[in-house]
Amino acid sequence: MERLITNYYETASIILFGIGFMTLLIHNNLIKKIIGMNIMDTSIFLFFIAKGYISAKEAPIIRAPYMGVEGYINPVPTALMLTGIVVAVSVTAFALALTIKIYEKYGTIELNEILEKGGD
Amino acid sequence: MAAAANFPLLIILILFLSSFMMPVLKRVKAVKWLSLSSILLCVVLSVLTLAYVQQNGAFLYKVGHFEAPWGNELKIGYLEAIMSIMFTSIAALITWASFFSADYEIKEKNIMLYYTLCGMLLASLLGILYSNDIFNCFVFIELSSIAACGIVVVKDKKENIKAGVKYLILSSLGSGLVLMGIAFLYSITGNLNIGFIHQELVKVKDLYHNTLIISLGLFTVGLGVKSAMFPVHIWLPDAHTYAPSSSSALLSSLVLKAYILLYIKIIYRVFGIEIVKTLPILEIVLVMGAVGMIFGSILALLQKDLKRMIAYSSVAQIGYIFFGIGLGNILGLMAAIFHIISHALTKSALFLIAGNIIERIHSKEISRLKGIGIEMPITLGVFVVCALSMVGIPLFAGFNSKWNFALAIIDSNRILFIAVLVASSLLNALYYLPIIINAYFGEENTKDRVYMSKEKSLGALLPILILAFAIIYLGISSNGIIDLIAKSVSNL
Amino acid sequence: MKDALLREIGKVVIPFIQIFGIYIILNGHLSPGGGFSGGTILGVSLIMHKLIEEPYKSRIKISERAVMQFTCVSLILYGLLKGYSFITGGGEFELLDIPLGIPGRILSGGMLLPLNVAVGIIVCFTIYTFYTLFDKGEI
Repeated sequence: MERLITNYYETASIILFGIGFMTLLIHNNLIKKIIGMNIMDTSIFLFFIAKGYISAKEAPIIRAPYMGVEGYINPVPTALMLTGIVVAVSVTAFALALTIKIYEKYGTIELNEILEKGGD
Repeated sequence: MAAAANFPLLIILILFLSSFMMPVLKRVKAVKWLSLSSILLCVVLSVLTLAYVQQNGAFLYKVGHFEAPWGNELKIGYLEAIMSIMFTSIAALITWASFFSADYEIKEKNIMLYYTLCGMLLASLLGILYSNDIFNCFVFIELSSIAACGIVVVKDKKENIKAGVKYLILSSLGSGLVLMGIAFLYSITGNLNIGFIHQELVKVKDLYHNTLIISLGLFTVGLGVKSAMFPVHIWLPDAHTYAPSSSSALLSSLVLKAYILLYIKIIYRVFGIEIVKTLPILEIVLVMGAVGMIFGSILALLQKDLKRMIAYSSVAQIGYIFFGIGLGNILGLMAAIFHIISHALTKSALFLIAGNIIERIHSKEISRLKGIGIEMPITLGVFVVCALSMVGIPLFAGFNSKWNFALAIIDSNRILFIAVLVASSLLNALYYLPIIINAYFGEENTKDRVYMSKEKSLGALLPILILAFAIIYLGISSNGIIDLIAKSVSNL
Repeated sequence: MKDALLREIGKVVIPFIQIFGIYIILNGHLSPGGGFSGGTILGVSLIMHKLIEEPYKSRIKISERAVMQFTCVSLILYGLLKGYSFITGGGEFELLDIPLGIPGRILSGGMLLPLNVAVGIIVCFTIYTFYTLFDKGEI
């Protein structure tokens, strides 16, 4: 329990990951599924960025007095998550576009109703 | 020949650039030829890369101006060289075949988009294959899953969108899991480069036993979802059935394989087989593979739709590959890699054939296929070759891969699994042979059928004929390829 | 939304937003920001213009084909520049190097400036397309 509290970033991100994962799996509504997907992705971003953060150090932007390598946090996870966010945004946009298409074709965005109607 | 080290990067660049050139072009014909010529150029470059690897051995290629832990890297060994030849040449054949079927299956305004997506898909799959940086692999995974989903929905029918949504949701679930796996690895090693991760893992493996289990488990489930490992294969039948036949061929023969190859890379390069053997994951992969072999075939047996049957057969064949990986010995891995090649050849041919048949018969039902052996003799001839290869008759590629699987099973002292192998082969025979029998024989099936009446032109048949020859060639003399695979496995 | 106030303020604010976006793109290699952030701001200004001027039928229309062409040409430009840098770095060719310039000037940092511009154009049109995708009507 104590370890969970000291590593609260990781704990929170794993809990969020679980919430997102289950929302993605259980809900029938496509919009809720996409929200779940976003929560899941965001939790991973939190995890990564928490890994790169070192307390009491500055953001890695060099201004007038250069403080040496020790003065700044690890910029790699932040840079990676920037890529991750772009990827997540594109996937979300694609999924939402498909959801609109689904609504046009089936008249509903509940996955169970779609599966019933779509029997070929 | 020193310039050949640049070719893998050049391949990815050519494919991306040519695919972004396509939306600017005005004429569909120009788009088609640009697509085919760029992929053919990549085939040539891949062959030259293999020649270079045979001369100089596996090599690391620094992308950009920075050395490894800071910059990106590509790693090209025998495995990557062989697989890139296979990927590009099969993609070239499928593109050639799609020249004749795309107009029938895809709307005019979407055709350019289709070829753009195909180029992006191939480039990102090759990126997954070459990259030696695990986060880079993740970006390519996401790119490939968007592109793969795109070539499913490009047909713009009701069922396609449904299948596409299902595929997109499950594959983004998979990539989320993979990213979480990467996060765990990064948090205990502080590196993203595969070689450096491995060096660090060897040092800290005793400290973080549970973290390693979680991380490898996340990779297994994530890549398992994406490559349709048995219990999480549910997106595959829909996506493969409703997609245009050339997309199904691409999906089944290449997309699934790239994720499996990444999984092999993760087991053998990131973790290293010694560490993986201390974790209980490979046993699960083995059992899932074996269950998939049986249940995929049983489910295929129950289908009435030709493409859906072939799709479930894919589930069974993916089961074979995971089974080979799960055995955890060198022979098993070799068998799995050989099966990746033979299944890619066979399954792409089968989907292209299914596309041809559906285009001419206007029906997907297996029961309507009676007597078409007379009407489409060449297509059905290739179908027979593929079916016999799937069942595992000697002289065809499938026999060699099953033979290798049997050797691997004996080598790992799990003799019981031979029964699974044989049972799965018998089940394969049960669903492929009736189609062949009904197509050629039977009094009422064949009367009033006009010989060659529904055959497509020779140009359209060329790709499946080449694939059939490749299958027979792999069946008769597989020694050359097996040697290459042995080399690639020995210095993974 | 039909609102005279909004329209008048939009007329004043949108050019400033666009200039700010261009500033961020052009200074991307010297300060925080760059192609992605600047492109987003530019894209948002386009969306705002569409939102405000739509009811008055007075907006500047961008055709779908033009958006596609701009995006693809920038992508090709990006691919060529970055590919050149990758290949010369990886193959260790001694080809012509882009001069680095004096640190702190706009024309410095080698290829970063053109790359940022390319990214900016791509992101701007992508954001705009994302918006129009979910809004009824054409681009």
